Amino acid sequence: MATNGFKNYSIKFSWLSQTWARLKNDKMGLLGFVLVITVVLVAIFAHFLAPYDPNMINISHRLQAPSLVHLLGTDHLGRDTLSRVIVGSRIALKVAMISISLAMSGGLILGLLAGYGPAWLDRIMILIFDTVRSFPTVMFALALVTMLGPSLNTIIIVVVITSIPMYGRIVRAQTLSLKNKEFIWAERSTGAGMVRILAVHMLPNVIGPLLIIASMDVPVVVTIEAGLSFLGVGVRPPAPSWGSILNDGYAYIRNTTWIAIAGGVPLILTTVGFTFLGESLRDIFDPKLQKDI
Amino acid sequence: MSDQGKSKNSPVFTRRKFLKTSSASAAALMAFCALPGVSWSVENNILKVRTPFDIATFDPAFGSGPIELMVGSCIFNNLITLEKEKSWVWKLEAAESMKQLDPKRIEFRLMRGIMFTNGYGEMTAEDVKYSFHRIIDPKMKNPYAGDWAMLDHVEVKSKYVGIIHLKQAFAPLWNIGLPGPTGLIYSKKAMETVDGKMTVDPLACSGPYELKEWKPKQVIALKKNKLWKGDKAQFDEIQLFPIASDSTAQAAFESGDIDFTVISASAYQSYGNKAPKNARLLQYDSLFYSWLGINMENPMLTDIRVRKAIQMAVDVNAVVEAAYFGLTKPATGAIPPGLIGHRGKSIIPPEGDIAGAKALLAEAGYPNGIELHLACLNNPGVVAQAQVIQAFLGMAGIRILIDQLDPGTFWVLGSDASLGEKANDVQLYLQRFSTFPDPSFAMQWFTSDQVGVWNWERHRSAEFDKLNKQASEETDPAKRDKMYKRMQDIMELSGCYQFLAYEPIFALCRNTLDPQMRPDGYPAVRYFQKT
Amino acid sequence: MVSYLIKRIGLGAVIVVIAVSMLYGMIHMVPGDPLSVMLGPRATPEMKQELNIRLGLDKPFVVQLFRYFTSAMKGDLGSDVISRRAVTTIVFEQLPYTFTLILTGIGWAVLLGVPLGCYSAINRNSVFDKIAGIFSVGTIAIPSFVVAVYSLLIFSVTLGWLPAIGAGDDGDFISQFTHILMPALAIGLGWVGYLARLVRASMLEVLGENHIRTMRAFGLSDRLVIFKYALRLAILPTIALLGVGIGFLLSASVFTEIVFARPGIGKLIFESVIQRNYPVVMGCVLITTVIFVISTTLSDILTVILDPRIRENL
Repeated sequence: MATNGFKNYSIKFSWLSQTWARLKNDKMGLLGFVLVITVVLVAIFAHFLAPYDPNMINISHRLQAPSLVHLLGTDHLGRDTLSRVIVGSRIALKVAMISISLAMSGGLILGLLAGYGPAWLDRIMILIFDTVRSFPTVMFALALVTMLGPSLNTIIIVVVITSIPMYGRIVRAQTLSLKNKEFIWAERSTGAGMVRILAVHMLPNVIGPLLIIASMDVPVVVTIEAGLSFLGVGVRPPAPSWGSILNDGYAYIRNTTWIAIAGGVPLILTTVGFTFLGESLRDIFDPKLQKDI
Repeated sequence: MSDQGKSKNSPVFTRRKFLKTSSASAAALMAFCALPGVSWSVENNILKVRTPFDIATFDPAFGSGPIELMVGSCIFNNLITLEKEKSWVWKLEAAESMKQLDPKRIEFRLMRGIMFTNGYGEMTAEDVKYSFHRIIDPKMKNPYAGDWAMLDHVEVKSKYVGIIHLKQAFAPLWNIGLPGPTGLIYSKKAMETVDGKMTVDPLACSGPYELKEWKPKQVIALKKNKLWKGDKAQFDEIQLFPIASDSTAQAAFESGDIDFTVISASAYQSYGNKAPKNARLLQYDSLFYSWLGINMENPMLTDIRVRKAIQMAVDVNAVVEAAYFGLTKPATGAIPPGLIGHRGKSIIPPEGDIAGAKALLAEAGYPNGIELHLACLNNPGVVAQAQVIQAFLGMAGIRILIDQLDPGTFWVLGSDASLGEKANDVQLYLQRFSTFPDPSFAMQWFTSDQVGVWNWERHRSAEFDKLNKQASEETDPAKRDKMYKRMQDIMELSGCYQFLAYEPIFALCRNTLDPQMRPDGYPAVRYFQKT
Repeated sequence: MVSYLIKRIGLGAVIVVIAVSMLYGMIHMVPGDPLSVMLGPRATPEMKQELNIRLGLDKPFVVQLFRYFTSAMKGDLGSDVISRRAVTTIVFEQLPYTFTLILTGIGWAVLLGVPLGCYSAINRNSVFDKIAGIFSVGTIAIPSFVVAVYSLLIFSVTLGWLPAIGAGDDGDFISQFTHILMPALAIGLGWVGYLARLVRASMLEVLGENHIRTMRAFGLSDRLVIFKYALRLAILPTIALLGVGIGFLLSASVFTEIVFARPGIGKLIFESVIQRNYPVVMGCVLITTVIFVISTTLSDILTVILDPRIRENL
C-alpha cells in the first residue's frame, strides 16, 4: 500500500510540474498567469493596499485630477478613486467567480446530457435553453431586480440564469460532433457505461473550448454588472464595484475623464489575464495538440 | 466646432444640401467634413430643442405631462400665460382683455381673427365654453378636473366675449387653471367629431405653430401657422428631439445638432466659466422642491425622537453642495421663493447637529444606533445626495441601506392601491415635486386624505387640513402667506420632512437665441426670440 | 430533413408561448403602473383604477393570458396605454432601426473577425497571432457603452466628423450611413475579438483532427484543406454562438440607442419596462422572442447542413 501511495503522489507531482513547465514556455500564458495572480492578490489584500477608506466622502475635494495625494484623483463625492478601484476588485472577482462557476457547471451538465443523451432529452434541453435565452436580458434583469431588490446576489442570479444556456449550447454542439468519433464507438462497443464515457472521454475534449469561453466570460460578466449599474439596477451604493465606478465616470465624464478610465482599465487587465491563461491551459490539456508543435 | 447656423452670414451651402444634390461617396464625405469651418449646422430659421422624453398625446388637458404642454402651448392657445418678472405674473395670450368683475366672475374678451386650421373656422367664446366645460364634465372623467373644481359655468355673452362663473372665490385659477394645460382652448367643432377625445391628431391648431409631423421617439416637428395673426412666430419650424441622456444632449449641442438644452448641475459646473463657442450657460430658478421623507407609521419610525434625530443629523448644506455644486442654497420649505407662503428660514438649522441626534437616539432606546432603508430614484444626482445623507446619518449611528429604484417601482413606493400593506414598508425616501405658481398646488399632496396616495410620510394633521382649505378660499395675499407658513411649520415639527433644495435649472443656449422658461422649469418654446 | 424542420418550428412556437407567458407573469407581479410614472402626483387613484379596467388587469391571470394570445393571433397586440396607438404600429416602426444596427454591427464584426481568427490559427504563435490576440481580447473587454461614449466624444464633439444623435433623414442613404457608423462600432467592436478568438480556437481543434491530417497527408494543398473543410467545421460553434448572440445584441442595442438617441427596439423595451407600459412591453417581448427563435432555428439548421455527421443522427 505504501508503495502505491508513493507512486500516486509522484505521478500527481510530475503532472503539475509538467503543466507549470509548459506554461512557463508560453509567453502569453505566463503574462496571463501573472495578471490573474495580481488581481487575485489585490482582491485578497484589498483593505491593506487601499490608501484611504473607499467610502469616505469629502465634498470639498471632489473631481480632482490625479495628484501625489490621490494617485487616480477623486470622484464626485471626493472619495479616493484608487482605493475604490482596489476594493472594487473584490466585488468583480466575487461576481465573476461565483456566477461563472455556477453557470459553467450547470451548462456543462445540461449540455452533456443534451448532446449525449436520447433525442427527447436533447429537445427538452434545447427548449429550456432557448426559452431562457430569448428573454431580453435587460427586461429579465429589471423584472428580477424589482422582485428581489437591487443587490449583488440578484446580479449573480441574473448572470447565472442568462449564462447557462450559452455554455449549454456550446457543450452540446461539441458533444454532438464528438459523439460519433471512432474512439467513442470503440468504447461503446466494449460496453462502457454512459457515466464513464462522459467523464473519461467527453469531458476532457469538451473542457478545452469551455475553459476558453469561461475565461473570456469573466470580462463579459463584469460588463453585465457594469451594464446593470449603468441602468441604475446594480449593486447598492456606495459599493465600489468597477461597474458603478464606470457608471459614475460616464455621468461626470465632462468634469474629469479619470474616473471612467479608472473603472475601465482594471476590467481590461483582468480580461487579458484570464483569457491568456485560459488559452494556455487549453493548449496544455488538449491531448492532440500536445503532439503538434 | 459648434455651429453658427442662425447668423445671417452663414453659408447657405450646408452639408445637408451638398449630400442631397450630389452622390458623394463616403470617402468624399469624410474629407469634406474634415475641412475646418464646416459644421453640421442648422438650416436657417429652424429652432432645435431637446426634450427629455417624447410625447404620448396631443391633448394636454387630459392626463398628460410637461412635454405635451410644451407642444400644446405652441399649437394651441390659452386665454393667458405666465411670465417671470420678479415673480410669476400673467399676461394676455388669446384674450384681448381679462377682467375680474367680482370674486366670483371673470370676464374675458377674445382677440378677433384667431383661426383654427383645417377649415374649422374662427375661435369664439363658444370654443372657450366648450373647452372649460369639458374639464369638469363628469362623463369625461378628466383627472385634472380639480384645477377647475370651482367652475360653475361659462356664459357666452357675444361672439368674442364671455364670463366665467365660479361657485366661490378661487385665486388659484389665475395661476393653475387658466394658464395651464386645462386652460387650453380647443375647437368645439373639431372635438365634437371625435367625441371630445383626441390623441395623436391635434385636428385643429390655432397657435403660432401647427403640427408638421411627428416621428415617434425621434422628432416632433412644428411649422409656422400661416393663419395666426398675433405676435409673429419667430421661426419657420420648431423641432423637438426627445433625448433621454443628459450627456448625449450635451454632445448633441456641442456638435451643433440642437440649439437649446437643459443640462445637469455637474455638466454646468464642468464648463467652468467657458461656455462652448457662440453659446452661453444659463441658470434659472424653477419651482421644483426636494425633501427627505420619513414614514411615521413604519414600526421603526413611530417614535418622534427617532425622526427628529434623522432630521437633525443631516447637514443640508453638504447635501446641496454635493448635488448642485454650490449653485443653490438649502430649501426652507415646500414653497419655493417668489410664491406666497415661502418661508425664509427652517426651524431646524441646515448645518445639522450630530451630537444632538445621537443623544436623541439614545434617549429613544437606540444607544447603539439603528439600521434603516433609504429609497430613491436611480438617477445619478439623486443617488449622490443619498450617499451624502448616508454618510451623515452614519456619523450619528444611523446605518443606511440605499435602495436605488427604477421609476416604475419608485413612483408607487407609498401607494396603498398598488402595494397594499407593503406600502408601509417604506422608511426614508428622497422625493421632489414641481408646482404651478400657486402654493395651494404645492401643499395639496400633504393632507390627510392623501395618505397612501401621495402622502407617503402618512402624516395626518387636522390643523393642516383646515388651513389648507381656508388658504385656497382666502383672497388676501397677506393672510394666505401666514397660513402657508404655518402649514410648513407643522410639517417640519412632525419630524416627517427634511427639506433639501429648490432645484435650479441649468441650460445651454446659442447666443442667437433669447429663451424663456415656464414655471415648471421647461422651456416656453413658443416665446423664444432671436437676438 | 423536412421532419426535422417541422419539429424545430413546432419547438419554436412552444418557446414563444412559454417565454411570453412567463414574462407576462413577471411583469405583472412587479409593482408600478404607467400613470404614476408618467404623471407623478398628477396621477389620481381614479385614473389608475380606470386604466386597470381598460387593460383588463382586474381579471384572473389565466384569463388575461388567454385573451392576449387569442388577440395576438389575430394580429392585435393591444394599444399603448397613453397614446392609444396600436402596439404593432409602434413596434414595427422601431424594429427596422435596430435590425439595421445589429446587422451592420455583426456584419463587419464577421468581416473582420473571421479572417482574423483563421489567419491567427494558421500562423499560430507568430507575431501576428500574438498582436491579434492582444487586440481581440482588449476589444472584448471594453463595454459597448464605453465605446459609444468615447466615440461620441471623439468623433462627434471634438472632431465634428459624425452626427451625435438620431438615425438620419429618411431616404437619404448617406445621412443614415453616417448616423449608423458609431453605434455599429459600439455594438460590433467587442464581437470582432470574440469571433476571432472563437474561430481561432475552433480551427485549431479541427486542424488537429484526423480527417484533416489525412487530407494533408494525401497532399491536398493547405489552402484547399483550410477553406473547404476546416473552416466549415470550425464555423460550427461560431454559428451556434451567433444564434444565441442575437439576443445578446438586442440588449447591447439598449445602451447604444440610449447614448446615441437612436430609435429602436432596445430603447423601446427599456423605456416601456421602466414606464410599466404593459401592452408595449408584451408586444416587444413577443416579437423579439419570435425573432430570436427564428435566428436560433436558422443557426441550428445551418449547423446541421454544415456537419454531415450530425445529419446522420436525425
